Amino acid sequence: MPENENYREIEITVFRYNPQDKTSKPEYQTYTLTETPGMTLYIALIQIWSKMDHDLSFDFVCRAGICGSCSMVVNGKPRLACKTRTSEFEDGKITLLPLPVFKHIKDLSVDTGNWMNEMSKNLESWIHTQEETDLSRIEKPVDPAVAEEVFELDRCIECGICLASCSTKVMREDFVGAVGLNRVARFQLDPHDQRTDEDFYELVGDENGVFGCMSLMGCEDHCPKNLPLQTKIAYMRRKMVKVK
Amino acid sequence: MKIIYTDALIVGGGLAGLRSAIAAREKGLDTIVLSMVPVKRSHSAAAQGGMQASLANTVMGEGDNEDVHFADTVKGSDWGCDQKVARMFVTTAPKAIRELAAWGVPWSRIGKGDHTVVINGKKETITEKDESYGLINARDFGGTKKWRTCYTSDATGHTMLYAVANEALRRDVEIHDKKEAISVIHDSGVCHGVIVRDLINGELSAYVARGTMIATGGYGRIYKQSTNAIICKGIGTAIALETGIVELGNMEAVQFHPTPIVPSGILLTEGCRGDGGVLRDKDGYRFMPDYEPEKKELASRDVVSRRMIEHIRKGKGVKSPYGDHLWLDISILGREHIEKNLRDVQDIAISFNGIDPADEGEKGWMPVLPMQHYSMGGIRVKPTGESTTMRGLFCAGEAACWDLHGFNRLGGNSVSEAVVSGMIVGEYFTQYCEETHLNTNTSVIEAHLQAQIDYLAEILERDGGLNIFDIKDEMRTIMQEKVGIFRNGDDLLDAVHQLEDLLKKTKEITVESKSMGNNPGLNEVYRVTKMLKLALCVAKGALQRTESRGAHYREDYPKRDDMHWLKRTITTWPDTADTLPTVHYEEIDILEMEMPPAFRGYGSKDSLIPNPLSAQREEEIEQIKKSLETVNRFTVQEALLDFALPGNLKHKNERVGVGYA
Amino acid sequence: MLNREYVTELLTGKDTTKHKSRMPARIDFLQSVSGLLLALFILFHLVFEGSILLGKEAMYRLTKMFEGEPFIEGGEPLIISVLAFIIFALFILHAGIALRKFPSSYREYRRYIEHKALLNHNDTNLWYIQITTGFIMFFLGSIHLYMMMTQPENIGPYASSDRIYSDWMWPMYLVLLISVVLHAGIGVYRLIIKWGWFDGKDPRGNRQRSRKIAKVLVGLYLLLGLASLGTYMKIGYEHQNDYGKRYVEQKK
Ligand SMILES: Cc1cc2nc3c(=O)[nH]c(=O)nc-3n(C[C@H](O)[C@H](O)[C@H](O)COP(=O)(O)OP(=O)(O)OC[C@H]3O[C@@H](n4cnc5c(N)ncnc54)[C@H](O)[C@@H]3O)c2cc1C
Ligand code: HEM
Ligand code: HEM
Ligand code: SF4
Ligand code: F3S
Ligand code: FES
Repeated sequence: MPENENYREIEITVFRYNPQDKTSKPEYQTYTLTETPGMTLYIALIQIWSKMDHDLSFDFVCRAGICGSCSMVVNGKPRLACKTRTSEFEDGKITLLPLPVFKHIKDLSVDTGNWMNEMSKNLESWIHTQEETDLSRIEKPVDPAVAEEVFELDRCIECGICLASCSTKVMREDFVGAVGLNRVARFQLDPHDQRTDEDFYELVGDENGVFGCMSLMGCEDHCPKNLPLQTKIAYMRRKMVKVK
Repeated sequence: MKIIYTDALIVGGGLAGLRSAIAAREKGLDTIVLSMVPVKRSHSAAAQGGMQASLANTVMGEGDNEDVHFADTVKGSDWGCDQKVARMFVTTAPKAIRELAAWGVPWSRIGKGDHTVVINGKKETITEKDESYGLINARDFGGTKKWRTCYTSDATGHTMLYAVANEALRRDVEIHDKKEAISVIHDSGVCHGVIVRDLINGELSAYVARGTMIATGGYGRIYKQSTNAIICKGIGTAIALETGIVELGNMEAVQFHPTPIVPSGILLTEGCRGDGGVLRDKDGYRFMPDYEPEKKELASRDVVSRRMIEHIRKGKGVKSPYGDHLWLDISILGREHIEKNLRDVQDIAISFNGIDPADEGEKGWMPVLPMQHYSMGGIRVKPTGESTTMRGLFCAGEAACWDLHGFNRLGGNSVSEAVVSGMIVGEYFTQYCEETHLNTNTSVIEAHLQAQIDYLAEILERDGGLNIFDIKDEMRTIMQEKVGIFRNGDDLLDAVHQLEDLLKKTKEITVESKSMGNNPGLNEVYRVTKMLKLALCVAKGALQRTESRGAHYREDYPKRDDMHWLKRTITTWPDTADTLPTVHYEEIDILEMEMPPAFRGYGSKDSLIPNPLSAQREEEIEQIKKSLETVNRFTVQEALLDFALPGNLKHKNERVGVGYA
Repeated sequence: MLNREYVTELLTGKDTTKHKSRMPARIDFLQSVSGLLLALFILFHLVFEGSILLGKEAMYRLTKMFEGEPFIEGGEPLIISVLAFIIFALFILHAGIALRKFPSSYREYRRYIEHKALLNHNDTNLWYIQITTGFIMFFLGSIHLYMMMTQPENIGPYASSDRIYSDWMWPMYLVLLISVVLHAGIGVYRLIIKWGWFDGKDPRGNRQRSRKIAKVLVGLYLLLGLASLGTYMKIGYEHQNDYGKRYVEQKK
């Protein structure tokens, strides 16, 4: 707690609502706390939770920007709360909302897991191959540059921020969004995967897939992992348009 | 009452749980995986540095094989591990990584010809063999003889977890996330499933299965400063303990990592040092070569962590509002290398500390301090992964004391263990589920369920005015200060008393919200209570073990004592009314070892109280070797230590240049 | 007769015998092609319209050229009709396809508007301009094209100016001008991203560059269009007493 009087007070306003509880009404609650050096929204929310309001719900797991649990809307921008430093906000006022487009659980908590699992299943997001792997044998060689390219796309943490930043998704529930298109591009590039572009067309060749994207670029501009969504969606679109 | 039946039930959706689930589905069993969080958010995703497997693809790994990996692991464990398990592990690890490659993990691959690496702070050029082109690369990691740690940049755990999770989805493993197991259903020594709390609406239900596996990861969050995810509370381990029957092994064996960043505790991967990063003190002086002239920064984790604290105690630490720390300098690797291979590290330093580690000189140094990192201890299981004392309860991954790591785990061996145990234990678990028929009546299940409903209701009724968050903070501080890197009898005794007190005080708390629904305040009460029990196991085990072994370091007993302490600590909690665990020991038989205890290679040789049996076994081994008339390493190995593996896992592993030799 | 394939599709929601329709791909491609052609057309159109800035004579000659004068004595306005019809077809095609991107219900519209306001993200905001201008053009563009198809002979320095000034067409043209320039500018920027044309080595930087160039072009074209419109109005004002009188060529 502040030994130093120079620490400023910040105001954090949180959307409160529990859809499970019939008596609960959506409301905004404001908490005032003292900002400490290097404070992140993770630290701030844990402080609110443990010191002011034990009933506040939110999701953190890794608190290091790698698991994708803590996405929320921070002053209008979907981002990872654990990676957001409070000092960024000059007026010291921060409003937190749960991520839109996902099923709301309570307060800042939403259900991303089931959506992402469905998406992974629908897009068959695993290697398809006829080859049998003998685990005792030396693995199949892969060009280092190709492996790296696949890795680049494999970095997605399913945080859902691209979906929450996509107006197309907001309007059209069944749109797979950048996360899905990126996933398909990842397998399209993977030399282990023997699927053809025709096969991928079956997965994303429609208005819920790549042709539904209107290039709004909210995904590209908010993705916390800086995935090359702009280029990879364009890449998939080019591939899919060429399918006979 | 809601009861859900399945064939195979797996609690925990990290690498270990999901890989086991795949094994069960392969045999057509109905399989459910429970997880507190969406499975891809499990803590396995946080592993950065890499996975050990003796592929020997790179020139720096040439000559590597199961034997070398085995020796490193046993030595690393300070001879505390089960050598049979270590053998099972090293034989399967190459298969595990090759399976993962086939599942699409984009392992970093070997490029053509020359490339520059930083070894020991100096740039050097190494030349790769042509036939290795495109094969899985490896980097250097602490405590290993060869470059054996395979990686995907610094998101190894993430890419592994996603591949395994997707394969699980493909096989229609049922994943139920936001579900927390809060108690084990058992009856006359047999496990029948778990009682589960839905973290969305608070509902309790019973999951009943032929076999149950716990793969819930570590318990690092009982410490104030930890690199672990905030869900690593060891709830799975605790509910096993609470059966009163299940044994926990080596709970005091807690690993501290040398380089989490200050103050957030986010880990900067061992890869930083593996790639050539160095540690510096307040004068910018590289001090590790003074302490460990041979291995320097790449000595085993426990050793580096202790040396760092030792150096800070000499007044060489850097002062900061968060206490003293030291510097980690990777700027010498060059911007290009950092931006390619250590991007997450750079990202962490910039996002959380505003430091760009690629900046030359002091500006780019990152503040680091050793913190809790890994739980070697856990549910004590047989080599098949089944609990030593409860039928039908299996355990794999960090939650288990299988016992691969003994008193110190090597970096890169735990994601490897998670997957490998998923393959091995997963297979034994599947066999058990296939052979066993559900044999329990609903009254047992209902009684267990009712007991938990009553327990939660009782918590809400408590009205002592204490705050559970204060109790938690106190516990974590005690663990940090008194059961930390350097331990001594007085502090440990204090810690045990204080923790016991805290456990009693949990009865005097008040929860504000009285809702049985989504109530994060209520969650905290039963979780902290369970964590306190684990903390007591750790503290009491540490207090009683009057020697120093691996990560467990007693200032008052600085020697490793093979005469008296070559044994596993076993803790149980026989009676729910107890406020302290019961501790006993399991002997580790030197005469069955393939590699009898010897000097580990750190500090001075007299820091060891040897056991004469070591020499005896050494001699025996020589005899056996002589009598064999062959130097074929497989024949020799077999003669020294017998181990079994399910399916094809015992097959030899092919390697570049040497084939199956 | 029972058509098994169709019934299977009806019952299971998926057609197991055929692959997914290629229509979405074609349509998406058509949208871009039609948009691009229209944009190219406007690019030139506004320049040609701007010929009035060089004087009545220049505009007159250009008009005649379009009527095919070098080959047909006195020019043939029907050519313009045909051209206008082709453009109109393209226009309708493009608009028809684009319709599928419009919010299909008020609920969708509200959700978009609220989300846009919350996010306040540049490219998402631009899309709003694109659908609004598209919507406006659907009406105004149709009127304009209808006129061009039906009265192709009424084009020329005086005829056009009279229409714009005395027939009170200038407000419509003003709105149409702003709409079409914005729509085409944003549309082309979106095309570049959508197909990844200028990704190069630094796609992020190049996107910012494309956006800047699009902005500059939009500005220039607005200036050009406004200047032309102003000139037509000035001529129309001066010519109002001679309304209907046609321009006569200066010299042959
Ligand atoms: C920062 C960091 C970096 C690391 N880097 C490396 C590395 O480079 N190399 C390496 O080998 N190892 C590394 N490790 C260690 C390694 O990541 C872990 O040991 C390993 O991933 C554990 O896997 P697991 O499957 O056992 O458990 P976890 O991945 O922790 O999974 C636990 C699962 O159990 C679930 N769960 C927990 N409790 C309950 C409950 N009560 N009910 C229901 N579900 C529950 C969780 O939701 C989760 O799905 C690192 C660890 C840390 C902290
Ligand atoms: C072949 C088809 C077209 C022909 C022949 C044509 C012709 C003309 C002519 C002659 C004018 C001058 C004003 C007038 O005489 O009324 C004009 C102006 C204009 N036209 Fe078209 N046009 C065509 C298509 C379009 C289309 C498709 C659009 C956009 C949707 C468009 C937008 C405009 C605008 C904005 C102006 C005002 C120009 C300015 O302010 O400088 N035209 N057009
Ligand atoms: C009736 C009139 C029109 C309507 C309703 C309309 C509507 C739209 C809409 C909604 C889009 C966005 C599509 C998307 O986001 O995927 C679009 C794209 C576009 N429009 Fe139009 N438009 C019209 C006329 C024009 C005209 C006259 C031009 C040329 C000047 C034009 C050029 C473009 C371009 C280049 C694109 C980008 C194409 C793409 O994204 O594939 N449009 N239009
Ligand atoms: S693509 Fe980016 S924003 Fe979308 S889920 Fe993946 S990491 Fe998150
Ligand atoms: S924001 Fe949405 S519309 Fe496309 S470019 Fe990204 S998915
Ligand atoms: S908590 Fe894991 S990304 Fe924020």
